[in-house]
Amino acid sequence: MTNREKLQKLIQDVFLLDPSEFSFDLPRSAVETWDSFGVVSLAVGVQQTFGYHLTPEEANGIKGVNDIIKILECKGISFE
Amino acid sequence: MVSSSVRMGSGRRLENHRESLMIALPPVTTLCSFVEQSSGRLSGEVIVWSTESVAGRVRALVPWEVTTEAPALTRSTAWLLAVGGGTLLDKAKVLRSHHPHVNLAALPTLWGSGAEASPIAVLNEDGRKVIRTGPELLPNLIVSHPAFAHSLPDKFIKYACGDAWSHALEGFLSPLGTDESRADLADVLRRMLQQPLGYTPEWFELSALACAAQSKTSVGVAHGIAHVLEGVMSWGHARLCSHYLLPAMSFNKANSPKWPLLAASGLPDNAIFMLLHTLFDNEAYLATLPALTSNWSKVLRDKCTRTNPALIRPQDLEFFTSFRA
Repeated sequence: MTNREKLQKLIQDVFLLDPSEFSFDLPRSAVETWDSFGVVSLAVGVQQTFGYHLTPEEANGIKGVNDIIKILECKGISFE
Repeated sequence: MVSSSVRMGSGRRLENHRESLMIALPPVTTLCSFVEQSSGRLSGEVIVWSTESVAGRVRALVPWEVTTEAPALTRSTAWLLAVGGGTLLDKAKVLRSHHPHVNLAALPTLWGSGAEASPIAVLNEDGRKVIRTGPELLPNLIVSHPAFAHSLPDKFIKYACGDAWSHALEGFLSPLGTDESRADLADVLRRMLQQPLGYTPEWFELSALACAAQSKTSVGVAHGIAHVLEGVMSWGHARLCSHYLLPAMSFNKANSPKWPLLAASGLPDNAIFMLLHTLFDNEAYLATLPALTSNWSKVLRDKCTRTNPALIRPQDLEFFTSFRA
């Protein structure tokens, strides 16, 4: 499984989305379950899946799926 | 003001562990001291709201009228003394929050919920658990009268221990935990390991400390499942937490990067799991699985599930339905 596929599965599982609801351009504002609890759950899932522990500032500052990719790419995790 | 005759959780030396806990609790007094000091020094009315099961015994111990229904608080009300389990104490906390001039004294008849020590109230609204938090919900005083727990059946005492264990363990592992909260909860957990799963007065203090510390972090999937199932089954919160703590911790051990922090804090896996196996009842657990299966989507959306230290995914239902001790 590629990192893009892993991230897609993670986002679907964390925010309880159908595959049809997912896109890599998905903004936080479009996801009802991306609330403060979703932020915590996302941080837990990112650590489990990619081994990177998001700081509270990073986790709270994420505005959409693309921001997660940017943060993880900065940590050397490739999404090519 | 009624002063504290006993301070819990501050400056207590624990052998081989940290010098003191940083967990803040409301002051604690005995029921006798509360009655003496309230009768002698306080002006204003004291209203006693008791759960039905102990109302007769409360009437024999206090000089005030005791009601088993939600009381009307007035301008002349100085204290509301709430006597009961977590459900009644949480209702009293919310009632008092609408009357900030009233002091709330919380007397838990059994440990486990820790409602007397936290600024959290869990309410049942139309079969749904609604969690409220805020400083206005924290009682002003904890009133201690452990004798109420003496006559309770052993199984309720054991469930209460399980409830306290679930607060302490899930709070320790919470992704919202800090080094400080984990150090505090590790102290509490080590002391809990030394207690039997039966009546000892120490459980009141340990349960209050666990809940107060956990209220600054979060709980996890054992609570998430309990909150959903207690709305659809006739089982109490403490019973469900007791039975789900072993599968929840087994899941966390396999999946959460936080799990090794327990051993690093002097809490080895074998000691923890030996205790959790004692709380677990395989037959009772199996009886809950149909309700768990049909309500899994609600469990996934529960706030506590979403702050579990390991991500709970839709497909993880299989872990819980296939779990056996």
